Amino acid sequence: MIQQCEEEVDWMEDIVSIKDVRMKVGEFQLGPIDLDIKRGEVFAFLGKTGAGKTLLMELIGGFYTHYEGTIQVFSDVPVGIVLQEYALFPHLTVAENIAYGLKCHHYSKSETQKKVKDITSFFGINHLLGQYPDTLSGGEKQRTALARTMAIRPDLLLLDEPFSALDVATKERIYGQILKIKEEFDCTIVIITHDFHEAIRLADRVGILLHGKVKDVVAPGELFVRRQDNEVNEFLGIGENVDKKRTI
Amino acid sequence: MGKNNKMEIVFLFMLVLITVFTILSLFIIFIEGIPYIKEAFLSEEIQFSIKMSVGTATVSTGIVMFFAVPSGYILERREFFGKKLLGTILEIPLSLPYLVIGICLLTLFASDFGKTLRSMGFPVIFHRNGIVVAQTFVNLPFAISMIRSTVREIDPRLEFVAKNLGASNWYAFYSIVLGITRRSLLSIGLICWSRALGEFGATLMLVGVTRMKTETLPGSIYLNISTGNNEIAMASAILLIIIALLVQLTSKYLTKNDTAMRRRG
Repeated sequence: MIQQCEEEVDWMEDIVSIKDVRMKVGEFQLGPIDLDIKRGEVFAFLGKTGAGKTLLMELIGGFYTHYEGTIQVFSDVPVGIVLQEYALFPHLTVAENIAYGLKCHHYSKSETQKKVKDITSFFGINHLLGQYPDTLSGGEKQRTALARTMAIRPDLLLLDEPFSALDVATKERIYGQILKIKEEFDCTIVIITHDFHEAIRLADRVGILLHGKVKDVVAPGELFVRRQDNEVNEFLGIGENVDKKRTI
Repeated sequence: MGKNNKMEIVFLFMLVLITVFTILSLFIIFIEGIPYIKEAFLSEEIQFSIKMSVGTATVSTGIVMFFAVPSGYILERREFFGKKLLGTILEIPLSLPYLVIGICLLTLFASDFGKTLRSMGFPVIFHRNGIVVAQTFVNLPFAISMIRSTVREIDPRLEFVAKNLGASNWYAFYSIVLGITRRSLLSIGLICWSRALGEFGATLMLVGVTRMKTETLPGSIYLNISTGNNEIAMASAILLIIIALLVQLTSKYLTKNDTAMRRRG
């Protein structure tokens, strides 16, 4: 199962190449990390709070420049990022938020209007265009942030704990939307999550991140296979007596 | 407040006491000075001092904001060698008596540097340019400090996201930082303008107070009190109090809306 998956993945070219990346923030040490993310896959970084998931995603997204090692993103267009708390621009309406990236890429006014209309229809938020972010629900903010990012059609979409603030029903709806985004926009998606279910539901591969290090990269079906590393077993809730071949 | 909380009752009493003292101090001038307002405003001297004060305060506030916004932003957002030292140096004038600031400026502009400026057509000492220089020097550290607090409240990730969406550094700064803080910046500008209107100590040392030449509103109060013309002095003071009150109210309104804006992101 693992081999099959890895063979499939190996056919694809890399969109992100992380080589020996290390970064120290206060007492916390991220890395060393070596990892490749393949074009077209959904990759989930799974780990506890404080494992360094967000920091790693921010490194990939270019938030920090002072780190050791190399991170290469093979794309001509900017990396799309949706942060945990969405980071919608509070002084702009939903329409202005979504149009922001298009304006930066010098689209004409009519092109921008058309693209905003199309993308808000895709995300089902065309009734919110004149509203400010503070008037939106969690799910609406989420979809606005996704629409703003996808308007510039990134090759690589980074999602930081995108569903943590949402209720179960909204989460389920947005899971479907994430997979639809991948199809519609033909992009690679990297998700940061602490939720096993989310990782299994959405990802083609899962990277287990503990204490700043990627402990393992597996297919979701093999996530709960017992490993030599007790720390990983403990994180995944795999006890001594669990069948080593337990899969989802 | 708890029924038996004696401490809070004492504190409340102290608060009421200082409020009553403030109201009394401010409004006694209104009672005494209002009959002379019309006469004061019709006098050529007060009209000159109003024009001088408003003109110099407007120019100096423009200069202050032009330098303070980028300086406050970079001090708050970036780490660089010597940042703490730089921040401390810039804050020194905040804790100096304005007369001392005035002497410092006087010494600087009386030196060869000042003489060179004069020969280039920019006299400072005993000239209205000096009023602008004094107001600017007094307000710059204050404005930088206020702008740093304002920038601190904006999530840096908003700029990161903006750049990620394709914005240049300049455009992200303009559209996000200035966009979100515009009301706060306007409020800081207004407070600086009001402080500049009332600046006296440093101005006195640098340009002196010459009637109808370098006479600002506070200068006019000083000159009229010195010559026993208390009524005109009080009328000028009323004008400054009204301006300060309007600035305070506008500033509170602007920052209330701006804080709500930053929080609702």
